[in-house]
Amino acid sequence: MPDLKDLENKSLYILREAYAEFKNPAVLWSTGKDSTVTLWLCHKAFFGKIPFPVIHIDTGYKFKAMYAFRDNLAKEWGMNLIVAKNEEAMRDGMGPEKGHFECCTRLKTEALMRCLEQHNFDALILSIRRDEHGIRAKERYFSPRDSEFKWNYKDQPLEMWDQYQKTTEAKTHTRVHPILHWRELDMWEYIKQEGIPSHPMYFAQNGKRYRSLGCEPCTATIDSSAATIDEIVAELRETKIAERSGRAQDKEKAFTMQKLRALGYM
Amino acid sequence: MDCNVVIIGHVDHGKSTLIGRLLYDSESVTEGRVQEIQKLADEFKRRFEFAYFIDSFDDELKEERTIDTSQVMFKGKRIYTVTDVPGHKEFIKNMLTGASHADVAVLVVASQEGIKEQTGRHTFLINMLGIKNLFVLVNKMDLVDYKQDVFEKVKTDVTQLLSTVGFQNVSFIPGSAWEGDNIYKKSNRMPWYKGPTLIEALDQIELREESKPLRFVVQDTYTIEGEKITVGRVESGSLCKGDKVVFQPSGISGTIGRIIYYPDEIEKAETGDSVGIVTDCSPVRGDVCGLIDNPPHVSTEFLGEAVLLDENLKHGETVEIRCGTKRAKCTVKELQEKLNSETGEVIGKSPEHISEHEAATIIFRSEPMVVEKFSEIPELGRFVLVRDKNIAAGIVL
Repeated sequence: MPDLKDLENKSLYILREAYAEFKNPAVLWSTGKDSTVTLWLCHKAFFGKIPFPVIHIDTGYKFKAMYAFRDNLAKEWGMNLIVAKNEEAMRDGMGPEKGHFECCTRLKTEALMRCLEQHNFDALILSIRRDEHGIRAKERYFSPRDSEFKWNYKDQPLEMWDQYQKTTEAKTHTRVHPILHWRELDMWEYIKQEGIPSHPMYFAQNGKRYRSLGCEPCTATIDSSAATIDEIVAELRETKIAERSGRAQDKEKAFTMQKLRALGYM
Repeated sequence: MDCNVVIIGHVDHGKSTLIGRLLYDSESVTEGRVQEIQKLADEFKRRFEFAYFIDSFDDELKEERTIDTSQVMFKGKRIYTVTDVPGHKEFIKNMLTGASHADVAVLVVASQEGIKEQTGRHTFLINMLGIKNLFVLVNKMDLVDYKQDVFEKVKTDVTQLLSTVGFQNVSFIPGSAWEGDNIYKKSNRMPWYKGPTLIEALDQIELREESKPLRFVVQDTYTIEGEKITVGRVESGSLCKGDKVVFQPSGISGTIGRIIYYPDEIEKAETGDSVGIVTDCSPVRGDVCGLIDNPPHVSTEFLGEAVLLDENLKHGETVEIRCGTKRAKCTVKELQEKLNSETGEVIGKSPEHISEHEAATIIFRSEPMVVEKFSEIPELGRFVLVRDKNIAAGIVL
């Protein structure tokens, strides 16, 4: 097993680098397990209080239970929570039936762009991990986004050792990825070790559970009897099924994820 | 202990295929992924490629070449993080990004081609990065009918190259990533080879941490409930409550009052720990802390070796240097020797400038900053040069 302490130490270092380098950072929180762990790491890095805003992108299609979880934890951890929505697209009736690519771009990416413009954030802390998707495996810890929010994945910065770079190439903002090096299994072992709250939907009921949480219409359950963290860990050690197998936008067509991410998707 | 392996070598010698093979044979690929790849191969009207397990950009798949580095994990006797790097010269910065965290390198050389441009350059660069564990996989043995004499010829040539660059006693493994020979499974097609498979060779490596003096780099100081907490990381050695320390280049000394690993207070921080400390002095970002009887070395002039990844670097030019969390202005006082980045050989004295992909030994003059010899404390003996973006990487000689 990778030592959880090594993973954590590296993440704490990256978060503190980001806080030292950027004037106005914010952290993105979907309320899922990964970004909740990131918030916990922020707690640890900054001694009990997250010193920057927490952004939640609300597509209007999230699971009802996620809203309650969000509001409770935001209160308990004393977050400065910003809820970002693309109200215009929501009013126009944007939904997954218009196509996953279109829907994710309008309701997530555009909502994020507007929020960023409004608040002038220069860095966004995101909870993507290399082992989730081949495209995410190509990311840097500090990843610049140009004036159109785009990821220039064909010419990424030199990022040697722990010299994460902040450049003028980042016209809108820089993405910071403090848990890029963690695996799904590590997340659950860490959640258990630290006692981090997680959604009940991750735990099996009637032979089904969610392994990755997104919007309700586009997220499917997997067959599972894992009803505790230990059982999830045991299941992950054996499984041959991909973590995001229940996430529609990853699989619509080859390279949908690349196109989404090139435009500024998470 | 986890092990970070980087796969290096010339374009098309089979690096990505090797990683795909390792993932496939160690049963580390998920269900559906094999079918997905078959579908892609059909779409492109090509044969099934193991490289598709790791190449993810559409351009990478269409052009059949790796553009950027990526990492995957698989399990042998321990957890391996395997880093794929591109084999084209134009993507050297991506190669360095991937290789900079490696403990071990596997140099892939295609049996029917032997040494090519990036074979040498990658080897030179990982030597500069201080990666001492190296294996050579003589790949594509299936294309030369698994003949021992072909293997021996490549081995002789590559051994010569390695000794010029600075590697001795390197093990060679004949194999085929495409066919799966001697990668994860022993091959019976080369009875003349008695050595280990690649995975056996990797499993046998012992990684040791050498004991080194305390160096703690300062990232920042926060005021938490009226108390000043300095945050940073123990890069080498260990830090204990009560230690008498000095912070350089600020030149201030004090005592470690408390060590905080939130929410706990601890007595001792080990190498790698990101902690907060409370002291009776006021260190700043860029300072390095050491014990008062073994303090960090402050320099204003030092010799380094660097490889350039941007247009050029001129004699007398001033750029920013970053080492640890320190940023300082530094001037290229003298370009001493230009090095052939394919072999490490000296190819010119006192050049006026060096260009992209060239390497040189350089005397830098900088604002006061802590640098250590790379051979002694590598964590503080490596640097990047910055001209808006990172343009060069180097080590302190």
